Amino acid sequence: MDPLDNLSLLAITGRTLALCTTSLILALGLGIPLGIWLGGRRFPGRRVLLGVVNSGMGAPPVVVGLLVAQLFYRSGPLGDLELWYSTQAMVTAQVLIALPLVVALVVAAVASLDEDWALQVRTLGISPLWRNWLLLREIRLGLLAAVIAALGGILSEVGAVMQTGGNLEGETRVLTTAILMYTRMGLFESAYALAAVLLGLMLTLAGLLTWVQYGEKR
Amino acid sequence: MSASLGVRRLRIVRESAVSRFELEIGALDLEAGQVLAVLGANGSGKSTLLRALAGLEPLEAGEVIRHASGPVTMVFQRPIALAGSVVHNVRIALRSQGLDAEEISRRSDEALARFGITDLAPRPATALSGGEVRRLALARAFAIKPAVLLLDEPFDDLDAGARESLSRDLRRAVAETGVAVAVVTHDLRRAVRVCDRIAVLLGGALRQTGDRDEVLNRPVDRNVAALVGMTNLLPAEIDAQGLARIDAEHAIPTLALGRPGPAWIGLRPEHLKVDIGRGEGLPIGPGRVTEHASDGILTTLEIAWAGHALRTHLVAGRGMAREIAMGDELSLALRPEDVYVFPMDTRGEKESSGHREAAPGSTGSGSMSNCR
Repeated sequence: MDPLDNLSLLAITGRTLALCTTSLILALGLGIPLGIWLGGRRFPGRRVLLGVVNSGMGAPPVVVGLLVAQLFYRSGPLGDLELWYSTQAMVTAQVLIALPLVVALVVAAVASLDEDWALQVRTLGISPLWRNWLLLREIRLGLLAAVIAALGGILSEVGAVMQTGGNLEGETRVLTTAILMYTRMGLFESAYALAAVLLGLMLTLAGLLTWVQYGEKR
Repeated sequence: MSASLGVRRLRIVRESAVSRFELEIGALDLEAGQVLAVLGANGSGKSTLLRALAGLEPLEAGEVIRHASGPVTMVFQRPIALAGSVVHNVRIALRSQGLDAEEISRRSDEALARFGITDLAPRPATALSGGEVRRLALARAFAIKPAVLLLDEPFDDLDAGARESLSRDLRRAVAETGVAVAVVTHDLRRAVRVCDRIAVLLGGALRQTGDRDEVLNRPVDRNVAALVGMTNLLPAEIDAQGLARIDAEHAIPTLALGRPGPAWIGLRPEHLKVDIGRGEGLPIGPGRVTEHASDGILTTLEIAWAGHALRTHLVAGRGMAREIAMGDELSLALRPEDVYVFPMDTRGEKESSGHREAAPGSTGSGSMSNCR
């Protein structure tokens, strides 16, 4: 195996960003409505659901990876889709890891609003579409926290994407799995180069979001 | 006058693991251009009624009927300030209704001016004080041109000056827009200041509804009397001349001629005169000051008389030629036309007539349910 060349570094970084963006969008797309629903309604079984969400936040990614890998394994329930060691399987695992974080943070943000917030907005005769927009605006700081947490979980994850993607060159190799591989091979320079890119990405994105968050507070 | 919103045979049941609450209202109407004050002790169902009028409460039975075509809106006890500027808060509902920009700014400017917060328009709404948020909430409500406006404790945690100016602005806004208003409050003086009519809720039922002065001066029973500030309540025996005998030595002149028998005597504190020598009212003998509390403007006295504690209010600088202190003996007087006589003919009344207390604040006891 050769050390990392620039072209592969670029390809791996690009793939990582594409996968992360997809997973993040899916996790937010599912998690925000679910969080709003769980945070604003009172119904039997709500506590159980919240318990599931909270334990999901602490679920070891490697276990999530194991479950998703088995799901897509050739003889598994979704084996016919032939998605074992695919980017789709990786995205599935990443979404499952990030989803509980998003839901929990949105639930907390919605719960911190006034108890009768939704009723008050309703009595002003504001249409449902606008009410939802107002709600998102109201919990925007919680949403930013959810984005940061989800991004961190997705971008730095290694175990589950290894299990579901298999680190196939040119197909499913991402920054974290490549670092793992080069470390195992003793090619530390390549591993460090990848690590620097990963850290740089993470810091840039988190920094950007934090800046937005503080701008809001002032 | 015409009713803008009414309820008929309303029944609401709220059940939780620890409690059960029922609200039953036979009929209640909100009239255009009038303010109805809903008075009641904590837990009497005031807020539940208001939420039912706003259509926010599931009904067990009965109906809430909208006669007016405009929106029904409510300002909650703790109004929210939406993220964004004050003017954004006032405009948001108008924008969602798709009004044109000119109409939106005209209405929002008018609403802000109505409640004196034009200066606050560009400020972030979440940075406002409690009183300012209340004004914002009222401006926001008036901007949508409601036919019915429901206010839950609108004068809560405001200082005296703010309460007074908000009352004035509210009164003016009602007169100018013709909106029908219901105000839920436990602040009797504030309610009297802003309302045209009063509805008294006790234990989940409407006990009395009527014009303000009628309810204040002719409460249907002792519990309503205590709630509307008629805090001097004494059991008595009316004789053939209309004299209410409290005991062997004490009596109160009334106009209840030809209605002899046991009765409750009700007298608003402001109608009990002390130490007057100008022939205003008939003397009922001396009493001794047992409580004396003053806020600098209003002094509240409790005076022991005939074994009861009678309450009266004195306004600073008015009426009294000297300072009053604890233990002072004062000559008391009243006008017979100010004395209100309640029949004492129900089972509930007889039960509670045994103890000789002036019974201020003893509201909401279940034993009074047959009074009407």
